[in-house]
Amino acid sequence: MECGELLKKLSDIRAVAGRENMAAEIIAGLFRQYCDDVSVDSFYNVIGFKKGQAENPQNVLITAHYDEIGLIVTGIEDSGFLRFTAIGGVDAKAIGAMEVTVHGKKDLFGVIGVKPPHLIAPEDKDKGIKMEDMRIDIGYDGEKARELVSIGDVVTFNSPTQELLNNRIAGKSLDNRSGVAALVEILKELQKLKHDDNVYVVATVQEELGLIGAVCTTYNIKADLGIVIDVCHGDMPDAPSDEAFPLDKGVTVAIGPIISRKHAKECIKIAREENIPYQIDPEAGDTGTEAAVHAVAREGIPVILLSIPCKYMHTAVEMVSVNDIVSTGKLAARYIAGRSKE
Amino acid sequence: MFDIINKLTQTFGPSGNEKKVADLIRDMLKDKVDEVKTDVLGNLICIKKGSGKKIMLAAHMDEIGIIVSFIDKNGFLRFSNVGGLNPFVILGKRVIFENGSVGVVWYEENIDDIKNIKLEKMYIDIAASSKEDAERLVNVGDMAVFEAGTILQNGRIISKSMDNRIGCAVLVQTALNQPETENEIYYVFTAQEEVGLRGAGPAAYGLMPDMALAVDVTATGDTPECKPMAVKLGAGPAIKIKDRSVIAHPEVKDLLIKCAIENNIPHQFEILSQGGTDAGSIHTTAGGIPSGGVAIPTRNVHNSAEIVDMKDVENAVKLIEAFINQ
Repeated sequence: MECGELLKKLSDIRAVAGRENMAAEIIAGLFRQYCDDVSVDSFYNVIGFKKGQAENPQNVLITAHYDEIGLIVTGIEDSGFLRFTAIGGVDAKAIGAMEVTVHGKKDLFGVIGVKPPHLIAPEDKDKGIKMEDMRIDIGYDGEKARELVSIGDVVTFNSPTQELLNNRIAGKSLDNRSGVAALVEILKELQKLKHDDNVYVVATVQEELGLIGAVCTTYNIKADLGIVIDVCHGDMPDAPSDEAFPLDKGVTVAIGPIISRKHAKECIKIAREENIPYQIDPEAGDTGTEAAVHAVAREGIPVILLSIPCKYMHTAVEMVSVNDIVSTGKLAARYIAGRSKE
Repeated sequence: MFDIINKLTQTFGPSGNEKKVADLIRDMLKDKVDEVKTDVLGNLICIKKGSGKKIMLAAHMDEIGIIVSFIDKNGFLRFSNVGGLNPFVILGKRVIFENGSVGVVWYEENIDDIKNIKLEKMYIDIAASSKEDAERLVNVGDMAVFEAGTILQNGRIISKSMDNRIGCAVLVQTALNQPETENEIYYVFTAQEEVGLRGAGPAAYGLMPDMALAVDVTATGDTPECKPMAVKLGAGPAIKIKDRSVIAHPEVKDLLIKCAIENNIPHQFEILSQGGTDAGSIHTTAGGIPSGGVAIPTRNVHNSAEIVDMKDVENAVKLIEAFINQ
């Protein structure tokens, strides 16, 4: 499958953090075509294994999370309206008037109703609305709603992935299905290359709740090198220029205290040699990504972080360039294949 | 069962000082389980051997409290919190130290507006007349907890430290009932939950269970003008869906719901917007341990008068017994 098509398919998958059981098999199916072995662990981390050619191969662990942010039903009112709260970092300002799917006994269409401008008091016109004051309307009254929906059911945003001009794609879960698409790109590239190292590609769970899938994975797989693939902020109007990166200028390679300087340098060298577009992403803190987990797992794993610029992160209209995903796949695969041995 | 709850809530045990609670539970259970041990962090682990799945049941023993940070020349104590403590909640309350010394919490009266009160503007008066006098009773580093009785009234219990001695009581009662099961059951009474879920993770690492349940309190949405929450007193134990530390593993959550339905046990669902529980540190231990929780609906959590309903407590025991027999 061509990368853009794959990304569209991936972004339409519904897998709210903590309920990835809804989607693990689909991801496993994608890995199977390119891996020697694919398994799903008890937390629904999806693990693809590609054997290395060295006699005593080292293990390279590449993680990209596949959970998405969403909502969870916290109450059902007698009128049938559903109260809800966020799973992961959902901005209340960005969800008014959204269409959603409530994953009840069956999937139900719903809308997040908002008050029409005519009915908003003049003094409230410029104010935001809190999530606790919003409701999901599924059309039913309380009795029927309670038959089909339970407190604790999860809710996803309806935002079918769209292809835009210029090889760009917009959708609800490009954070971080873009990373998962990059994992598949890496596997495809590695088919064409000789690699000494064993390669584990893992689509991880519950990143949005605190990097939980990566915590499990870095314990279960004893890695000699970690590579984390996630999204970074794409350049957009009003974004601080030092924290946002333009689309189509290539994958970002992080440099910072928790990143292995040696391995990041090697990776950048490969990008230069192979003419793969890249940008430098200075990360002064722990990066907020799974790299923070790799770095301190077991005895400590040297880790690098590759990020795909993504505009409008944590909204249902996230946007990436397919070109950046292809360059991420190419760079990671070439780096693994060309990795110098200690 | 009230007797068990009364003893547990009235035993001194702020975070890091759980030994008295552990000793009490050890005495209650030592003849009913196959092995009892304490680990480095002070977790008490009671093992009922079995040939099936290994199931960890965790309830934290520690309670919130205060720690003395300074004693002034007139014998007044300055203090800091141990666990989540609201200054308004402790204002005017009595606190009791491990040796039985009692103090009263009050505040500097030069404060402009009581709204701005912080713990650092408060002090404890232990009826001492000088620093030397105070130090005969209390030293810097000593901890104290709320001093308040445990009362059964109208089928409900009002007490300090319901969080989480009620969880301990549920597990003690479950172990005493010796429910039928092939599974190996770890009754784990954990340390230092209130200061960051610190005990449960290492306990789980040592035991490597196949799955785990945290038994703890949860808030309710049934008091005047409170925040909406679909949990109320007396409507059954709450099966954990989500809190700030964990999303319950789908298999564990679904198994609990199945057990409740099959055994006609009233139950509710817990989505807690503030706070976490031991499952938060257990589920990320050692490659991941599927974890969930059973919560006792509790009013006024982290107060000196927390309220639970006995029916919820008894139904929690039934639900856990059904769960471990799966």
